[in-house]
This record gives sequence, C-alpha cells and structure tokens, in this order.
Amino acid sequence: MTEAIVEYRGVSKYFAGIRALEGVDFKCRPGSVHAILGENGAGKSTLIKIMAGVLQPDAGTLLMEGKEVSFAGPQAAVNAGIVCMFQELSLIPDLSVADNISISSPPRRFGLIDRRAQVSRAEELLARVRCEDVDPNALVRELSLSRRQMVEIAKALGRNPKVLILDEATSALTARDVRTVYGLLGELKDAGVASLFISHRMHEVEALCDTLSVFRNGRHIETFQKGEKSEREIVRLMIGRDVDAQFPPKPDRTGEASTTEPILEVTGLKWGNRLNGIDLSLRRGEIVGLGGLDGQGQKELLLALFGVLKDVEGDVLIGGQKGLPSSPATAKNAATRMALVPEDRKTEGLMLDMSIADNLLVSSFGKISRGPFIDPGRAAAEIRKGIAKLQIKIGSADDPVMTLSGGNQQKVVLAKWLMIDPDIILLNDPTRGIDVGTKQEIYRLMRELANEGKAILFYSSDYAELIGCCDRVSVLYGGQVVSEQSGDGITEESLVAASLNIGVEAA
Amino acid sequence: MQISLSKENRPIVVASLFVGVILIAGTAYTLSTTGTAPLLSVNYLLQQLQTGSFLGICAAGMMMVILLGHIDLSIPWTLTAAAMTATAVGGDLAIPTALGVGVCVGLLNGIGVAWLRIPSMIFTLGVDTVLRGLMVAQTGGFAPQDRATPVMLFLAKDRIFGIPAAILVWAAVSIVIATLLTRTGFGKSLYATGSREGAAYLSGIRTRWVIIGAFVISGVCAAIAGVLLTGYSAKAYQGMGNAFLLPAIAAVVLGGTHILGGKGRYVGTLVGVILIVLLNSVLSIMQMPEAGRQIIYGAVIIGMLLVYGRNQRVTS
Repeated sequence: MTEAIVEYRGVSKYFAGIRALEGVDFKCRPGSVHAILGENGAGKSTLIKIMAGVLQPDAGTLLMEGKEVSFAGPQAAVNAGIVCMFQELSLIPDLSVADNISISSPPRRFGLIDRRAQVSRAEELLARVRCEDVDPNALVRELSLSRRQMVEIAKALGRNPKVLILDEATSALTARDVRTVYGLLGELKDAGVASLFISHRMHEVEALCDTLSVFRNGRHIETFQKGEKSEREIVRLMIGRDVDAQFPPKPDRTGEASTTEPILEVTGLKWGNRLNGIDLSLRRGEIVGLGGLDGQGQKELLLALFGVLKDVEGDVLIGGQKGLPSSPATAKNAATRMALVPEDRKTEGLMLDMSIADNLLVSSFGKISRGPFIDPGRAAAEIRKGIAKLQIKIGSADDPVMTLSGGNQQKVVLAKWLMIDPDIILLNDPTRGIDVGTKQEIYRLMRELANEGKAILFYSSDYAELIGCCDRVSVLYGGQVVSEQSGDGITEESLVAASLNIGVEAA
Repeated sequence: MQISLSKENRPIVVASLFVGVILIAGTAYTLSTTGTAPLLSVNYLLQQLQTGSFLGICAAGMMMVILLGHIDLSIPWTLTAAAMTATAVGGDLAIPTALGVGVCVGLLNGIGVAWLRIPSMIFTLGVDTVLRGLMVAQTGGFAPQDRATPVMLFLAKDRIFGIPAAILVWAAVSIVIATLLTRTGFGKSLYATGSREGAAYLSGIRTRWVIIGAFVISGVCAAIAGVLLTGYSAKAYQGMGNAFLLPAIAAVVLGGTHILGGKGRYVGTLVGVILIVLLNSVLSIMQMPEAGRQIIYGAVIIGMLLVYGRNQRVTS
C-alpha cells in the first residue's frame, strides 16, 4: 500500500458548539479516485474545506505526504497541490472563460496580462475536457450551467493538482460531459493524482471510484474498496437505517388517463429560438417528466408556464382558461394555482439571508393576513404545519435559511409552495445536490401530492428519477417534444435514445 | 464586548451607546465651561427632537428605499418642490398639494427604477435635477406666494400638551412605517425583494409594485418634511431640502440597515436620527467652527460604520 498523500489524524471541527467533524481519521492515496459518501450534514463539506485550507481544524492534525501541514488559507492549499471545485460554482460571470481559467495566476508579459497566451492556455485546457465548442473569449454568464461546470473543471486542471476535490462537480452535467469527466479522472489517476469525489449519484460513484468512505453525523464510519459492499449496504451505512424501495409505487392508471380532462394543455408553444412548438398535456393526479439533455428548453418551458417569459406564442389552456399567466404573481393567484420550484434554490428559490419563517411565508401573505395586517397566529400555525409536513430539520424558525443543509433548504422551497395549495406544481430539478434520504422523501411527497389530485410537471437531469417517479415522460430536444413515453415504456435506453434524438423509441 | 447579540440588533445597541456617550461628553463639556447641563434638560431635548423631526421623517422614507437596495437621491428637491408648490397654492389645499407632489415624484422614481430598470442612483439624481429646474423656472418670472399656511405653522411650531407637534407628526409617521414593515405583507415583501429580487419575483411577489410603493412612501415622507420645514421657517425657499440628503442616508445606515438592502429595523433608523441630531447640537454647543464640525461629523459616520457596518467576509 502506497503512502497516503493526505491523512487526517483525529480531526475535529465545531461550529458554535455544534459538531461538524469529530475525531476523524482518514487517508487518501495517490492514484486513486476516492468517493466521500454521506447525507447532507454528514461532514463531507467540512472535511473538504479543511483540506482546501478554507477552515482550520479545532483539534487533530492534517498530514500531506507524511508531513504535518497547516494551511493558512485556500491559496496555501493550492500551492501545496490541493485543488478544490466547490459545490457552488466559483466562476466570475462577467469575465471571459479565459480570464476565469487563469484568474489566480495569469500568464504575464512585462508585468501585464498576456491575453494571447491566456487564450491559448484556455483553449488547451478546454480541449482536455472536450469542450472545444466553448469560446475562450465568451463571458461565463452566457454559458449554460453544464458548460460552466466544465469550465470550472478546466480551471482546476490548469492548477496542476496533486489532489483534486470534486464537490458535486457533476451535478449539472449532461450525460456526455459526465463521460468526459470519467475519462479525465482515469487519466489523472494514471498520473498519480488523488481525486476526491463527492456525489449523490450512486451510479456515478459506482462507475468512477475505486475507494469509498462513508461519513455520518461528522464521523468517519467506514472506508472500503469498490465492490466490497452492495449499493443497499452502502445506503444503509450512510443513513444509519434500512431503506425500502427507493421510489414509491406508481398507481395503475391504464385506461384512466384518456378519460380525465387535462388541467394543462399546451399546443405549439414557441419562445425565441429556445422553444420551437411544444405540445404537452398534464392531468390531475399525474406526474409528467421532462427529459432530455440539459438546455433543450426544459427550463424555459417551466418559466413560460409560470408567466416569467414575455412574448411566448402558442395555445395554452390552464384549468379551462385560455392563455399563460402574465407573471408569477398571477400564476400563483389564478383560479388554477401554479407553483414553481426553480432550478437554483440559492438564488431563485430562497432569500438566503432571511429567516426560515419569512421564506416559508413569502408566497402566502394573502392567506395569512386579516385586512392589511398579517395575523401572527395564523402565520405561526402555517409555519408549524409546513415544517411538520415536510419534516424540515431546524433549530428555530427564526434562523436564517442559509444555516440549513441543501436538502432542508429545498424542503423550505417546497413547503413555501405547498402553503398556497397549488393545483399545478412545476419542478425544475428539485433533487440536485441533495442527499439520498431527502431525495426519497421528495419522491414520496411528489406521489402523495399527485394522489391528492395535484398535477406535477417534473424536470430532472437524472434518468433514474424520471423512470422511478413519472407516469409519463416527454423528452425535449431542440425546444420540441421528440418523444412521449408512459408506464413501463419509460426505460433508460429509450430516454437516452430520445434525448439524443436518434429515434429508436419505437422499439 | 462579548455580549452575544443578534446581528440585527448589534448596530442599534452600538448606536444607542454612542448616543449616551455624546450626551455624557457634551454634558461634561458644558459643566466644565459654564457649569450648566442643558443637554440633560427635557425642554432642550424636545427642542432638538423638534428640529430633528424633519430629518427623521426623511430618513423613514429613505429607509424604505434602502431596504430594497436602492437609494432616493431626489429627496432634497422633492421636499423643496412639495413645499414651494404647497405655499404657492396656499390655503386649505396646501398640504394635500404637497403630499400630491410627493406621490407624483415617488411614482415617477418608482416607474423609472422598476419598469425602465434605470439604476436608482442615476434616475433619482436626474429627477432631483429636473425638479430643481422646475422650481427655478417657477420663481423665475414672478414671485409666487411662499408664506407658510397657519396649519403648517401650527404643525411645526406649536405644542400639544407640552410636546412639539412636529415630534408628534414624526411619531405618527414612525408608527405607520414600523407597522408597515413588521405587520403587513407589503413590509415583508419589501424585505424579500431587497434580499433577493429574483427569488421574491419567482415566489409570486409583485416586485415592481413593491419598488414603486417604496419610492412613493419616500416621496411622501419628503413632502411631509417639506411641509413641517416650511412651517418652521415660516416660508418655503429654494434649496431648503439640501441639508437633508446625506444625514438621512447616514441615519438609516448608522441604524443598521444594510446599504445593499434586505436587512434593518426601523428602531435603528430612529436611533440613527437621534444620534445625528445630538451630535450636531453638541458640536454647535462646543462652538466648533463649521470646518471642524464637518470633519468630526464625517469621521464619526465612517467610524461608526467601521464598528459594525462592514460587510462580513465570505468564507464559506
């Protein structure tokens, strides 16, 4: 066994007296792809932030290549060869791709930044991540989320890492990019780089990693080689209890579907060059999935239905009423109420600085007010109800919502919308970057809501979710629905094929 | 200080302590020079608050706009325009006219910021300049009536049960604003919009109307201050609002309202106004020359902000 490149000895870290890590011993070998598994709040992020020099441990020591180290800050860790890609993208939207890639140490000539060298360096690195289509001079804000993540990876590669940390680095990637990343990690492994990989997608972990470590409640539970344990055993280690079937059962709806009137019917929906004639229908009690590669118009479709986009063309019937809502406020207050769980909960779903209570109530002022004044009794009751219904784990409802883990934050977004009792729920990748336990709770919740008679339109970048959750799936490609699948006809093969628009779904 | 305070309340406590420090230091000075302690007499303090009420009402309106992460630089000439138009109309219609001017300017500002999406710093500055031009044009050819009406005089100068009416007006404005902020959907929407406009919009808040509402309140507050100030000086005149812009912003920020929006309590703004008013009066008691006053005044604002106003480092 080769010497560990990074080793933790008895490392502990507390935040305001709350344990984030306790007595962690952990080793990571060069030339390995090492998965860190655990629910949100298990201590993975803290573990990594200590390694990256963002946090200092309260107790214990950190060793690198056998020598004790203590990083004063992130730059010290980078200099030592530890490169980290955090969950939140660290790119600056208003700078070009090339600027971002070389941001900390741009190539210089006579003390000034050498733009030409910078661009060629960016091209080289982008080629390594198979993103030749990204223009190094384009601004990062113009790129889609998946492209940005690839730029982030290129930026990390440019720092010549000895240890590369990927924290949810693949959560927004398309299937093709994920394959590229797989290849890259293989190359890095052969070059002796240790990669630490944090992901909530089990199949990625299975495909990529050779070593797995499970964390729970700030403790290192176990490290083992791939293949030593079944997926079920791993999940049990992570959540400390047994899990039943991942997805709740779907009700049998043969013959029923065609008889009920759709609550939402869209014909020939067009918007700019992003939506090119979408046809779609949605009935009460139904979960309809939106599939396809990232950026094929799914996000725009949901925004259009919610009244965010202007100048949308096409025929829309919502609960028998013609036309799209003119704004989210109208969508929320219409006879057929709509709710949208947006793509990015940190910037679109929540006011991070504000309290959990304020975030929960933000869509329901009408409901909890008596005349112009908010009724504190009603508000408190609604907050209690929302927190109980989704089992949100909180200290106090007055804490800022940013103190919650990702999964609990997403539950706050959902609870906020359930408070208005919506008829149609639009979900934009609601389980992105969320731990397994919470994902399953969300799946169960979705099915419960559908059974209560709500209609759910659900975009996910994870095929397994679409297969497990949806009654029907519409696959989008180039702003059009290219395939509709239902019941047992929804399979990984058919979804992938339809996503690439290679038309074998008839099989 | 190792007392643990919520982040919201810390600036308010610090500013309150500083108010105490000013009172003590000022009293120590007067005791040592003249042997009297005017700063601690109720009558003197009421007098100070009476003149402070103009600033207090401006700051209350300004706070609405700052909570959104915007700013209203049109306050000086909104105040002046409201006052001058009101006195020109005169009679019973004077005060409604002033409020009407405030509403109109607020609507204009709100539409420019919310619909036309022009940064408030530029738009309100432009509106301020346009208003100044209009007022100059109005007084250019002839001299309109500029006398304060009897109601204005009463509101600004008289006392009700020993308390200056101006303070009562300020108190009424304060109660309305505080209730609005803490007890209504509009107030909560204001905080939400200031905290993150995109998320507030996607949560179904009519963010444009919230922005317009805030600017209208700011305009109306400036107009009320204009009415009182006219009564206090017995007439309306050009440039009467010039002294209020910076102190109003400073009071709001000293009171702990985040300059980028989303956070702040109205009590803080009240404390901020009192702090500025007392600081000014102590400096004038000390017969500090104007130059020295300006330097100390500015340095105190910067110093107070250093104590608590800096943005926290983002580390995680």
